[in-house]
Amino acid sequence: MTVAPEVRIEGSLVRLRPPSAADVHHFVRWYSDPEVMYWLHMTEGPPATEPMEKERIGTARSDPSQMLWMIETNEGRVIGNIALLQIDLVHGRAWLGVTIGEKDCWSRGYGTDATRLLLHYAFENLGLRRVQLITDVDNDRGIRCYEKCGFYREALLREHRLRHGKPLDMVQMAVLRGEWSAIDGRR
Amino acid sequence: MISESILEGQRLRLRPVQPGDLPKFAEWLADPEVRRWLAALHDAPMLQDEIEWYEDSRANPDNVLWSIETLEGQLIGTVELRVVPHAQRAELGIAIQDKSQWNQGYGTETVRQVLEYGFEELELNRIELTVDEENARGRRCYEKCGFTEEGLLRQHRIVEGEFGNTVMMAILKQEWVR
Repeated sequence: MTVAPEVRIEGSLVRLRPPSAADVHHFVRWYSDPEVMYWLHMTEGPPATEPMEKERIGTARSDPSQMLWMIETNEGRVIGNIALLQIDLVHGRAWLGVTIGEKDCWSRGYGTDATRLLLHYAFENLGLRRVQLITDVDNDRGIRCYEKCGFYREALLREHRLRHGKPLDMVQMAVLRGEWSAIDGRR
Repeated sequence: MISESILEGQRLRLRPVQPGDLPKFAEWLADPEVRRWLAALHDAPMLQDEIEWYEDSRANPDNVLWSIETLEGQLIGTVELRVVPHAQRAELGIAIQDKSQWNQGYGTETVRQVLEYGFEELELNRIELTVDEENARGRRCYEKCGFTEEGLLRQHRIVEGEFGNTVMMAILKQEWVR
Protein backbone atom coordinates (compact mmCIF):
# COMPACT_ATOMS: atom_id res chain seq x y z
CA MET A 1 0.00 0.00 0.00
CA THR A 2 1.24 3.47 -0.74
CA VAL A 3 -0.10 6.66 0.71
CA ALA A 4 1.22 10.11 -0.07
CA PRO A 5 3.72 10.64 2.74
CA GLU A 6 4.28 14.32 2.05
CA VAL A 7 0.69 15.46 2.23
CA ARG A 8 -0.04 18.72 4.08
CA ILE A 9 -3.49 19.54 5.41
CA GLU A 10 -4.77 23.00 6.36
CA GLY A 11 -7.49 23.52 8.95
CA SER A 12 -9.03 26.53 10.66
CA LEU A 13 -6.84 26.50 13.80
CA VAL A 14 -4.05 24.11 12.87
CA ARG A 15 -2.27 22.53 9.94
CA LEU A 16 -0.80 19.07 9.64
CA ARG A 17 2.57 18.45 8.00
CA PRO A 18 4.87 15.42 7.73
CA PRO A 19 7.54 15.08 10.45
CA SER A 20 11.20 15.66 9.69
CA ALA A 21 14.41 14.78 11.52
CA ALA A 22 14.38 18.30 12.97
CA ASP A 23 11.21 17.44 14.94
CA VAL A 24 12.92 14.81 17.11
CA HIS A 25 13.49 17.22 20.00
CA HIS A 26 9.74 17.97 20.23
CA PHE A 27 8.95 14.27 20.72
CA VAL A 28 11.72 13.84 23.29
CA ARG A 29 10.42 16.79 25.30
CA TRP A 30 6.72 15.81 25.14
CA TYR A 31 7.33 12.16 25.93
CA SER A 32 9.53 12.91 28.91
CA ASP A 33 7.04 15.36 30.46
CA PRO A 34 5.18 13.56 33.29
CA GLU A 35 2.02 15.66 32.82
CA VAL A 36 1.85 14.73 29.13
CA MET A 37 2.79 11.10 29.76
CA TYR A 38 0.09 10.81 32.42
CA TRP A 39 -2.52 10.42 29.66
CA LEU A 40 -0.49 8.24 27.31
CA HIS A 41 -0.26 4.45 26.99
CA MET A 42 3.48 4.54 27.40
CA THR A 43 3.39 6.01 30.91
CA GLU A 44 5.13 2.90 32.20
CA GLY A 45 7.69 2.64 29.41
CA PRO A 46 11.25 3.92 29.53
CA PRO A 47 11.57 7.74 29.26
CA ALA A 48 11.93 9.11 25.75
CA THR A 49 15.40 9.42 24.29
CA GLU A 50 16.65 10.97 21.07
CA PRO A 51 17.49 7.61 19.38
CA MET A 52 14.04 6.23 20.30
CA GLU A 53 12.22 9.23 18.86
CA LYS A 54 14.42 9.28 15.76
CA GLU A 55 13.38 5.68 15.23
CA ARG A 56 9.71 6.57 15.73
CA ILE A 57 9.88 9.16 12.94
CA GLY A 58 11.89 6.82 10.70
CA THR A 59 9.41 3.99 11.17
CA ALA A 60 6.45 6.27 10.52
CA ARG A 61 8.03 7.35 7.24
CA SER A 62 8.96 3.87 6.04
CA ASP A 63 6.06 1.75 7.33
CA PRO A 64 3.17 1.92 4.84
CA SER A 65 0.65 0.98 7.56
CA GLN A 66 1.15 4.22 9.46
CA MET A 67 1.07 7.96 8.80
CA LEU A 68 2.36 10.57 11.21
CA TRP A 69 1.88 14.33 11.07
CA MET A 70 3.09 17.23 13.18
CA ILE A 71 0.34 19.58 14.36
CA GLU A 72 1.25 23.25 13.91
CA THR A 73 -0.77 26.32 14.77
CA ASN A 74 -1.49 28.61 11.85
CA GLU A 75 1.34 30.77 13.20
CA GLY A 76 3.74 27.86 12.67
CA ARG A 77 4.24 26.75 16.28
CA VAL A 78 4.63 22.96 16.61
CA ILE A 79 2.25 21.82 19.37
CA GLY A 80 1.72 18.09 18.94
CA ASN A 81 1.36 15.13 16.63
CA ILE A 82 -1.38 12.99 15.18
CA ALA A 83 -1.16 9.58 13.51
CA LEU A 84 -3.07 6.85 11.75
CA LEU A 85 -1.73 3.47 12.83
CA GLN A 86 -2.23 -0.09 11.62
CA ILE A 87 -3.97 1.19 8.50
CA ASP A 88 -5.83 -1.83 7.10
CA LEU A 89 -7.16 -1.24 3.60
CA VAL A 90 -8.77 -4.68 3.38
CA HIS A 91 -11.13 -3.99 6.27
CA GLY A 92 -10.99 -0.21 5.73
CA ARG A 93 -9.96 0.74 9.24
CA ALA A 94 -7.15 2.37 11.21
CA TRP A 95 -6.26 3.45 14.73
CA LEU A 96 -5.98 7.14 15.58
CA GLY A 97 -3.48 8.57 18.05
CA VAL A 98 -3.21 12.25 18.92
CA THR A 99 -1.05 14.13 21.41
CA ILE A 100 -1.04 17.85 22.12
CA GLY A 101 2.39 17.98 23.72
CA GLU A 102 2.39 21.72 24.53
CA LYS A 103 0.36 21.94 27.72
CA ASP A 104 -0.54 25.64 27.33
CA CYS A 105 -2.38 24.54 24.16
CA TRP A 106 -4.69 22.11 25.97
CA SER A 107 -8.44 22.88 25.97
CA ARG A 108 -8.24 25.31 23.08
CA GLY A 109 -9.77 23.23 20.33
CA TYR A 110 -6.52 22.34 18.60
CA GLY A 111 -6.94 18.59 19.16
CA THR A 112 -10.50 18.70 17.84
CA ASP A 113 -9.48 20.63 14.73
CA ALA A 114 -6.57 18.24 14.07
CA THR A 115 -8.77 15.16 14.60
CA ARG A 116 -11.41 16.50 12.18
CA LEU A 117 -8.76 17.16 9.54
CA LEU A 118 -7.38 13.68 9.92
CA LEU A 119 -10.82 12.02 9.78
CA HIS A 120 -11.55 13.91 6.57
CA TYR A 121 -8.30 12.61 5.11
CA ALA A 122 -8.88 9.06 6.36
CA PHE A 123 -12.42 8.78 5.00
CA GLU A 124 -12.15 10.87 1.83
CA ASN A 125 -8.59 10.30 0.66
CA LEU A 126 -7.71 6.87 2.03
CA GLY A 127 -11.24 5.52 1.64
CA LEU A 128 -11.35 4.09 5.16
CA ARG A 129 -14.71 3.12 6.72
CA ARG A 130 -13.83 3.03 10.39
CA VAL A 131 -11.40 4.93 12.62
CA GLN A 132 -10.95 3.71 16.18
CA LEU A 133 -9.01 4.73 19.27
CA ILE A 134 -8.60 3.99 22.94
CA THR A 135 -8.24 6.54 25.70
CA ASP A 136 -8.12 6.62 29.50
CA VAL A 137 -11.55 6.38 31.14
CA ASP A 138 -10.87 9.57 33.13
CA ASN A 139 -9.62 11.58 30.14
CA ASP A 140 -12.72 13.80 30.02
CA ARG A 141 -11.06 16.38 27.79
CA GLY A 142 -10.06 13.75 25.24
CA ILE A 143 -13.40 11.93 25.28
CA ARG A 144 -15.28 15.22 24.79
CA CYS A 145 -13.07 16.05 21.82
CA TYR A 146 -13.62 12.62 20.23
CA GLU A 147 -17.39 12.78 20.79
CA LYS A 148 -17.48 16.18 19.07
CA CYS A 149 -15.73 14.54 16.13
CA GLY A 150 -18.38 11.81 15.93
CA PHE A 151 -16.80 8.98 17.90
CA TYR A 152 -19.03 6.59 19.90
CA ARG A 153 -18.01 4.63 22.96
CA GLU A 154 -17.99 0.96 22.02
CA ALA A 155 -16.27 -0.83 24.89
CA LEU A 156 -14.98 -0.32 28.41
CA LEU A 157 -11.61 -2.06 28.62
CA ARG A 158 -11.16 -2.95 32.28
CA GLU A 159 -7.68 -2.50 33.77
CA HIS A 160 -6.32 -2.18 30.26
CA ARG A 161 -3.13 -0.40 31.15
CA LEU A 162 -1.05 0.71 34.10
CA ARG A 163 -0.62 4.29 35.24
CA HIS A 164 2.15 4.64 37.79
CA GLY A 165 1.81 0.94 38.51
CA LYS A 166 -1.95 0.95 39.06
CA PRO A 167 -4.43 -0.70 36.69
CA LEU A 168 -6.54 1.80 34.75
CA ASP A 169 -9.71 1.29 32.68
CA MET A 170 -9.75 2.58 29.12
CA VAL A 171 -12.55 3.37 26.66
CA GLN A 172 -12.55 2.14 23.08
CA MET A 173 -14.25 4.53 20.66
CA ALA A 174 -14.90 4.46 16.93
CA VAL A 175 -16.45 6.57 14.19
CA LEU A 176 -17.82 5.12 10.96
CA ARG A 177 -17.66 7.00 7.69
CA GLY A 178 -21.43 7.54 7.53
CA GLU A 179 -21.54 8.95 11.05
CA TRP A 180 -18.71 11.30 10.29
CA SER A 181 -20.25 12.50 7.00
CA ALA A 182 -23.44 13.44 8.86
CA ILE A 183 -21.43 15.64 11.23
CA ASP A 184 -19.02 16.96 8.60
CA GLY A 185 -21.94 17.92 6.34
CA ARG A 186 -23.57 20.01 9.09
CA ARG A 187 -20.50 22.13 9.70
CA MET B 1 9.10 -15.97 20.26
CA ILE B 2 8.26 -19.64 19.95
CA SER B 3 7.43 -20.80 23.46
CA GLU B 4 9.95 -23.11 25.02
CA SER B 5 7.42 -24.19 27.63
CA ILE B 6 5.53 -27.39 27.01
CA LEU B 7 2.13 -27.30 28.72
CA GLU B 8 0.47 -30.66 29.17
CA GLY B 9 -3.22 -30.96 30.05
CA GLN B 10 -5.70 -33.80 30.28
CA ARG B 11 -6.00 -34.41 26.56
CA LEU B 12 -3.76 -31.80 24.92
CA ARG B 13 -0.18 -30.68 24.80
CA LEU B 14 0.97 -27.16 23.87
CA ARG B 15 4.48 -27.33 22.45
CA PRO B 16 6.78 -25.13 20.35
CA VAL B 17 5.76 -24.69 16.71
CA GLN B 18 8.11 -26.60 14.42
CA PRO B 19 8.79 -25.89 10.74
CA GLY B 20 7.35 -29.34 9.99
CA ASP B 21 3.93 -28.11 11.20
CA LEU B 22 3.68 -25.38 8.57
CA PRO B 23 2.47 -27.41 5.56
CA LYS B 24 -0.50 -28.62 7.64
CA PHE B 25 -1.39 -25.04 8.62
CA ALA B 26 -1.29 -23.92 4.99
CA GLU B 27 -3.50 -26.86 4.01
CA TRP B 28 -6.10 -26.20 6.75
CA LEU B 29 -6.15 -22.43 6.21
CA ALA B 30 -6.91 -22.91 2.53
CA ASP B 31 -10.44 -23.82 3.69
CA PRO B 32 -12.75 -20.74 3.77
CA GLU B 33 -14.81 -22.37 6.55
CA VAL B 34 -11.70 -22.41 8.76
CA ARG B 35 -10.67 -18.88 7.78
CA ARG B 36 -14.18 -17.52 8.34
CA TRP B 37 -13.53 -16.88 12.05
CA LEU B 38 -9.88 -15.85 11.91
CA ALA B 39 -9.66 -12.08 11.98
CA ALA B 40 -5.96 -11.96 11.16
CA LEU B 41 -6.30 -13.68 7.79
CA HIS B 42 -7.58 -12.11 4.60
CA ASP B 43 -6.66 -14.68 1.98
CA ALA B 44 -5.57 -18.29 2.10
CA PRO B 45 -1.87 -18.26 3.07
CA MET B 46 0.66 -20.04 0.90
CA LEU B 47 3.31 -22.20 2.54
CA GLN B 48 5.75 -19.30 2.04
CA ASP B 49 3.40 -17.02 4.04
CA GLU B 50 3.34 -19.56 6.86
CA ILE B 51 7.16 -19.71 6.85
CA GLU B 52 7.30 -15.90 7.11
CA TRP B 53 4.71 -15.92 9.90
CA TYR B 54 6.78 -18.52 11.76
CA GLU B 55 10.01 -16.53 11.35
CA ASP B 56 8.31 -13.29 12.45
CA SER B 57 6.89 -15.00 15.54
CA ARG B 58 10.29 -16.40 16.43
CA ALA B 59 11.84 -12.96 16.15
CA ASN B 60 9.18 -11.15 18.21
CA PRO B 61 10.07 -11.37 21.92
CA ASP B 62 6.56 -10.28 22.94
CA ASN B 63 4.67 -13.09 21.18
CA VAL B 64 4.43 -16.51 22.76
CA LEU B 65 3.31 -19.11 20.26
CA TRP B 66 2.48 -22.81 20.62
CA SER B 67 1.26 -25.63 18.43
CA ILE B 68 -1.67 -27.56 19.91
CA GLU B 69 -1.55 -31.34 19.67
CA THR B 70 -3.34 -34.26 21.30
CA LEU B 71 -1.36 -36.29 23.83
CA GLU B 72 -1.03 -38.89 21.03
CA GLY B 73 0.87 -36.25 19.04
CA GLN B 74 -1.79 -35.30 16.50
CA LEU B 75 -1.45 -31.63 15.49
CA ILE B 76 -4.76 -29.68 15.58
CA GLY B 77 -3.96 -25.94 15.66
CA THR B 78 -2.11 -23.01 17.21
CA VAL B 79 -2.49 -20.61 20.11
CA GLU B 80 -0.57 -17.47 21.00
CA LEU B 81 -0.28 -14.70 23.55
CA ARG B 82 0.73 -11.29 22.25
CA VAL B 83 2.11 -9.53 25.31
CA VAL B 84 1.96 -5.72 25.57
CA PRO B 85 5.10 -4.56 27.39
CA HIS B 86 4.64 -2.40 30.50
CA ALA B 87 0.87 -3.07 30.64
CA GLN B 88 0.67 -6.54 32.28
CA ARG B 89 -1.69 -7.40 29.45
CA ALA B 90 -1.78 -9.79 26.52
CA GLU B 91 -4.03 -10.60 23.60
CA LEU B 92 -4.98 -14.23 23.09
CA GLY B 93 -5.39 -15.78 19.65
CA ILE B 94 -6.41 -19.39 19.12
CA ALA B 95 -7.22 -21.44 16.04
CA ILE B 96 -8.28 -25.08 16.08
CA GLN B 97 -7.39 -25.34 12.42
CA ASP B 98 -8.28 -29.01 11.93
CA LYS B 99 -12.05 -28.65 11.67
CA SER B 100 -12.61 -32.38 12.18
CA GLN B 101 -11.56 -31.63 15.79
CA TRP B 102 -14.15 -28.89 16.42
CA ASN B 103 -16.80 -29.26 19.17
CA GLN B 104 -14.78 -31.52 21.40
CA GLY B 105 -13.78 -28.99 24.05
CA TYR B 106 -10.21 -28.72 22.78
CA GLY B 107 -10.47 -24.93 22.47
CA THR B 108 -11.67 -24.62 26.06
CA GLU B 109 -8.90 -26.87 27.37
CA THR B 110 -6.30 -24.88 25.42
CA VAL B 111 -7.57 -21.50 26.61
CA ARG B 112 -7.54 -22.68 30.24
CA GLN B 113 -3.93 -23.84 29.91
CA VAL B 114 -2.87 -20.56 28.34
CA LEU B 115 -4.69 -18.51 31.01
CA GLU B 116 -2.80 -20.37 33.73
CA TYR B 117 0.50 -19.73 31.92
CA GLY B 118 -0.34 -16.05 31.34
CA PHE B 119 -1.45 -15.27 34.89
CA GLU B 120 1.03 -17.49 36.76
CA GLU B 121 4.19 -17.53 34.63
CA LEU B 122 3.96 -14.21 32.80
CA GLU B 123 2.25 -12.48 35.79
CA LEU B 124 -0.27 -10.76 33.53
CA ASN B 125 -3.20 -8.86 35.00
CA ARG B 126 -5.47 -8.92 31.93
CA ILE B 127 -5.90 -11.24 28.94
CA GLU B 128 -8.14 -10.00 26.14
CA LEU B 129 -9.36 -11.22 22.79
CA THR B 130 -11.64 -10.24 19.95
CA VAL B 131 -14.14 -12.64 18.44
CA ASP B 132 -16.53 -12.40 15.51
CA GLU B 133 -20.05 -11.57 16.75
CA GLU B 134 -21.44 -14.56 14.87
CA ASN B 135 -18.90 -17.02 16.23
CA ALA B 136 -21.26 -18.54 18.79
CA ARG B 137 -19.01 -21.54 19.46
CA GLY B 138 -16.03 -19.31 20.20
CA ARG B 139 -17.97 -16.92 22.44
CA ARG B 140 -19.41 -19.81 24.47
CA CYS B 141 -15.93 -21.26 24.93
CA TYR B 142 -14.49 -17.95 26.15
CA GLU B 143 -17.40 -17.38 28.55
CA LYS B 144 -16.88 -20.85 30.02
CA CYS B 145 -13.24 -19.90 30.59
CA GLY B 146 -14.28 -16.76 32.52
CA PHE B 147 -14.10 -14.02 29.88
CA THR B 148 -16.54 -11.09 30.08
CA GLU B 149 -17.88 -9.18 27.08
CA GLU B 150 -16.73 -5.58 27.22
CA GLY B 151 -18.24 -4.12 24.09
CA LEU B 152 -19.11 -4.43 20.41
CA LEU B 153 -16.84 -3.06 17.67
CA ARG B 154 -19.22 -2.02 14.90
CA GLN B 155 -18.52 -2.92 11.27
CA HIS B 156 -15.06 -3.93 12.38
CA ARG B 157 -14.40 -6.41 9.57
CA ILE B 158 -15.49 -7.19 6.07
CA VAL B 159 -16.37 -10.88 6.00
CA GLU B 160 -17.34 -12.47 2.69
CA GLY B 161 -18.19 -9.04 1.32
CA GLU B 162 -20.38 -7.95 4.26
CA PHE B 163 -19.76 -5.90 7.39
CA GLY B 164 -19.05 -7.95 10.48
CA ASN B 165 -19.12 -6.81 14.10
CA THR B 166 -16.46 -7.93 16.56
CA VAL B 167 -16.95 -8.62 20.27
CA MET B 168 -14.30 -7.47 22.72
CA MET B 169 -13.77 -9.86 25.66
CA ALA B 170 -11.36 -9.94 28.58
CA ILE B 171 -10.57 -11.72 31.83
CA LEU B 172 -8.72 -10.18 34.77
CA LYS B 173 -6.42 -12.13 37.04
CA GLN B 174 -8.78 -11.57 40.00
CA GLU B 175 -11.62 -13.18 38.01
CA TRP B 176 -9.61 -16.18 36.96
CA VAL B 177 -10.47 -19.52 38.56
CA ARG B 178 -7.82 -22.13 37.91
